[in-house]
Amino acid sequence: MSTTTGKAAESAKVQAGPGTAKSPAAGPKGSRMRGKPRLGVQNMAGWLFSTPFLVLFLVFMAVPIIATLVMSFTDFGLRNVTHPLDANFIGFENYTKLFSDEKFLKSLFNTAYFVVIGVPLTIFLGLLVAVLLNNGIDRARTFFRVGFYAPVVTTIVAVAVVWRFVLDPSDGLVAGLFSEVGLTAPDFLGSETLAMPSMIAMAVWRNVGTVMVLFIAGLQAIPTEVREAARLDGAGVWQEFKGITVPLLRPTMLYATVITTIGYLNVFEEPFVMTQGGPSDSTLTVSLNMYREGFNFFHMGYASAMAYVLFVVIMGITVLQLRLLKDNTK
Amino acid sequence: MPRTARTASTGIGIAVVLALGLTACGSSGGDNVAADKKQTLTVWAMGAEGEKLADVAKVYEKANPNITIKVTPVGWDVAHQKLVSAAAAGSMPDVAQMGGSYMGEFSELGVLEPVDTKIFQEKDFFPAGWQQGEVDGQAYGVPWYVDTRVLYYRTDLAKQAGITKAPTDWKEMRDLATAYQKKADTKWGLSIQPSGLDTVQNFYSFLYSAGGEIVNDKGEAVIDSPEAVKALKEYGSYFDKGLSNKSVQPGYDVVKDFGNGRVPMFFGGPWHVTLLNEGQPQLTGKWAVANVPSDKASVSMAGGSSLVISKDSEHKAAATEFIKYLTDTKGQADWYKRTKDLPANTAAWTSGDLADDADLQIFKKQMDTAKSSPSLSNWTEITDKVDQAIAKVTQGKASAEDALKTAQSQIEGLVK
Repeated sequence: MSTTTGKAAESAKVQAGPGTAKSPAAGPKGSRMRGKPRLGVQNMAGWLFSTPFLVLFLVFMAVPIIATLVMSFTDFGLRNVTHPLDANFIGFENYTKLFSDEKFLKSLFNTAYFVVIGVPLTIFLGLLVAVLLNNGIDRARTFFRVGFYAPVVTTIVAVAVVWRFVLDPSDGLVAGLFSEVGLTAPDFLGSETLAMPSMIAMAVWRNVGTVMVLFIAGLQAIPTEVREAARLDGAGVWQEFKGITVPLLRPTMLYATVITTIGYLNVFEEPFVMTQGGPSDSTLTVSLNMYREGFNFFHMGYASAMAYVLFVVIMGITVLQLRLLKDNTK
Repeated sequence: MPRTARTASTGIGIAVVLALGLTACGSSGGDNVAADKKQTLTVWAMGAEGEKLADVAKVYEKANPNITIKVTPVGWDVAHQKLVSAAAAGSMPDVAQMGGSYMGEFSELGVLEPVDTKIFQEKDFFPAGWQQGEVDGQAYGVPWYVDTRVLYYRTDLAKQAGITKAPTDWKEMRDLATAYQKKADTKWGLSIQPSGLDTVQNFYSFLYSAGGEIVNDKGEAVIDSPEAVKALKEYGSYFDKGLSNKSVQPGYDVVKDFGNGRVPMFFGGPWHVTLLNEGQPQLTGKWAVANVPSDKASVSMAGGSSLVISKDSEHKAAATEFIKYLTDTKGQADWYKRTKDLPANTAAWTSGDLADDADLQIFKKQMDTAKSSPSLSNWTEITDKVDQAIAKVTQGKASAEDALKTAQSQIEGLVK
């Protein structure tokens, strides 16, 4: 095998680390340093080297996160951009308002729809492609790998141009295929029922590459001896896959599922560039809704509350996933 | 993908931090430097104007050696956010270009200097241009250029469809759209937007021509008026009859489809003249502009930009001089030559190209009656409700009456 794959396997181990090692989710025990930290010159150097990161983290992450939390309990609006101290604390009003806001509930539903269909599809296709690339194709493997990974690193604007062409109901690629067999293509992005599946298709296409890379790494981390032993025992391809590949890939699967779910719960770009949430809010996701409330209408307090609801949802689902999927590994 | 949502919340956060940290030091009006002292003016202008303005600034600097002008071109897509951040940070430029839709917001933010109406007079400008810079009767912006939408149509295809004159009312426009589709084999009859942000801009031509409004002079929501219902019915009928495309994605460029004949008619602004001349040269002589087809009257929307002075600026006197130079008759004619932006100053229309060109006279006539949107700080949110009503009708989800009734009650809650 070439050196690149060797490196990939190595970095794969690093990537798969959180899952394979005793897992940070179970608690940081395994990774914590032994012994008490001592203040001293060495430690000063450590702090010194981490200062750039810490400053950036504080300014661009910690402070905004806290500010957003504070803001979510106020009626912060346009006026308060120049007079922030005039904003009033209104307790949980933003939060209670959210749950009677039809638009928000719809965006929550849309996001759930996106995740429930999108995540399994992405994981399944990512695994499929990874297994095929790992076993099936010997030649042109790199070519295919790059091909599947290319969408991940392509900017969404370029992607949008391509997908608009693919989905255009009058002279797009899909419309062409439909007319080949004498059918009229549906208006994918203009129809309330089809717009969301179209977004999902786009997102899956864009994200299969990421998941594929994770799985390839995971697959290559499986020791060949185990496979050989299984084969000697007379295991067929399917048995080998079921008995060895799948169980040993569990940690990777867990990691891939968690990051894909988090990504999809935050989905913003696809509807933003393709439909702006339309038609009739059928592709309005929580993130897009939040963006519009915040930056189009300047309901900053309300948008912040939305951000925190989304945050709690994401955290809840992630914890749940870690619990469920991890228990299965035992 | 998770990055974007994080950016959004980070953005909101940064806004607060900036606001909390920086307003304290930026707000005191400061001393004003006399116009004839040596000084540097900072100017922000958007899009193409930002680039062209630098040339004008050079000319101005030659005539006024004590002034240095630093022009920063700002992209339209980021203009709003940049200006809001600047307002929050108390670092607004001395002079900024502002669209009419921003005016309500920024006057509410309290960062704009009222216009000296002894120097800049309402009567010199198109009424709609002046109104754009006005909030609650107080002028904050001097009209720089104006735009309005007129009807662009393909004359060659119209001839093919057996029609030789421009449509003047709704019925003629509908007939022309149908004839295009039936006899000239075009894909669509008229390009109007079915849904999405700012669909309302297409709808204005119908709404205003029928005599309707979203919010009236008294600040009351009136979008469920019989005139508005009639306008929305007419608008929706183009989609019912398949004359207009129900699926238009963000970023759609009508110029290309106008060029290849798929779309023979659309409502466009003055900039489309340049876009068509430069982008579709094969079309020369095959298209024309006409005033918005009328119902009660032919009334289009007015847009354009004004020039504002920051309240915190220390160079207000010099800024006023510079704006005077840009908006007087000579400066406006010069600006037209450079950009093809329509002068806001009516006197500039009496000489050269502006007086002779028949197409331009169409724009001038449209501009005389054009209506600008009220300068309300939450106008984006208000029009969003109208956008939703339009979407419901064009997608066949609700009748014009029902959709506008919903919009009416929502907008009533917003205008208070």
